[in-house]
Amino acid sequence: MDVRLEGVTFRRGAFTLTCSGVFGEGVHLVSGRVGSGKTTLALLLAGLVRPPEGTVTRDGISSLTLSFQNPEYHVTEATVGAEVSSYGADPAEVTALCGLADRREDDPFTLSRGELKRLHLACVFTRAYDLLILDEPFSSLDCVQKKRVCTLVNERKGGVTVIFTHERQVLPQVDYLWEVEDGQVVCLGRVPDAIPAWRHAPPYLRYALDAGVVPENIRFQDAMEALCRTHD
Amino acid sequence: MIEIAGLVHGILSVPSLRIGEGHTALIGENGSGKSTLLSLLSGIAVPHKGRITIDGRLPRQVDVGWVTEFPDQSILFTRVDDEIASPSRFAGIPCREVERRVDAAARLVGIEDFLPRTVRELSGGERALVALATALSTDPEVLVLDEFDSHLDGETAEVVEEALSRSRCRYCVRCTQDMATAARADTVLYLEKGRVGEIGTPAAVFAAREQTCFYPPLWRIARGRQA
Repeated sequence: MDVRLEGVTFRRGAFTLTCSGVFGEGVHLVSGRVGSGKTTLALLLAGLVRPPEGTVTRDGISSLTLSFQNPEYHVTEATVGAEVSSYGADPAEVTALCGLADRREDDPFTLSRGELKRLHLACVFTRAYDLLILDEPFSSLDCVQKKRVCTLVNERKGGVTVIFTHERQVLPQVDYLWEVEDGQVVCLGRVPDAIPAWRHAPPYLRYALDAGVVPENIRFQDAMEALCRTHD
Repeated sequence: MIEIAGLVHGILSVPSLRIGEGHTALIGENGSGKSTLLSLLSGIAVPHKGRITIDGRLPRQVDVGWVTEFPDQSILFTRVDDEIASPSRFAGIPCREVERRVDAAARLVGIEDFLPRTVRELSGGERALVALATALSTDPEVLVLDEFDSHLDGETAEVVEEALSRSRCRYCVRCTQDMATAARADTVLYLEKGRVGEIGTPAAVFAAREQTCFYPPLWRIARGRQA
């Protein structure tokens, strides 16, 4: 199961994005500066944009979704409960899971952005998509909810998960790191070997790297554990 | 001084609160009332009960620059330079002064290259920078930012922090989920279910939050290294 991009080139005005690479099973984290083309890459992976040049091939993938940064883009129903049902999930179970049990009859647009995002992600994770693309899943969430999303990502069984994020505090365990730089999508490789080359590493990881240790993964606790080992 | 008295609005219940000049970071869980408080400070919403004043005036009597949580949705114009010029044009400012303001704001945020472009060509993060330049273009007394840093990568966030430190607004009130950003503020206000949990210097507020994830990661590492 994978998504394969071969000789893909996408142009919009003066902006050009090029990519060749394979997103295989596991968790991929893609970072890059503002305007580098991350969302364009997400759209290409999801098949919502066709590349004018090159090919995008999804092998063994029978279900996929792209979760947008703005949770309101996904709302289709008039109540929170009906919104959960539209994913084929149990409203009582999902709203209890994301702390919104008392809001089931409310209009989703009366939730705060963070609450709506929490609801949307809880719904998405009830489905076992072969390809799950998350564009800025941590934005609008407080740190408690970010940790919950990390748990959901890491408890997902199989499939290809691609996360596009600027997050600098709470990150999940990932398998591969990618960067979008100067219009080029580059796979830095497997974690932990790829971590030292990661230009967008959050400050806590940079701190560990500057101290001469490479954490096992990219979470805060991985950095702490690596730093503790330097004490021993 | 921003003064709040007897405020009841939505989830918010704030009997009394005073926020001094400088940068104030609002932190707290989702649904704790951060965006609601910002909408009141910006004058977009009016309190159901109670009163908010900024140096003795109501928010609607003060020049407030406001950037919403999803700024790309509040952009009105096709061209970037027209968008940044819009608050000044709406205020009837002479053309030459409008041009000066547009150039100054774009330079401050580091987006001079965007000026001749259309908004449609820009990414979500780039549009957020346009919204910030638009908010700063009138040299507002108060700048209100709703989770602005969530749109930015680390390098761009540094550029923006520098721009904010150089802006002349007397009050910058922002909510953020990035505790490192909050730690740079003069004042941190922790909201808990619509009420003021703590307010004070970053050191004081974070000391009370140390056992939670509302604590700057690098501070935690530094404490761990000292232990």
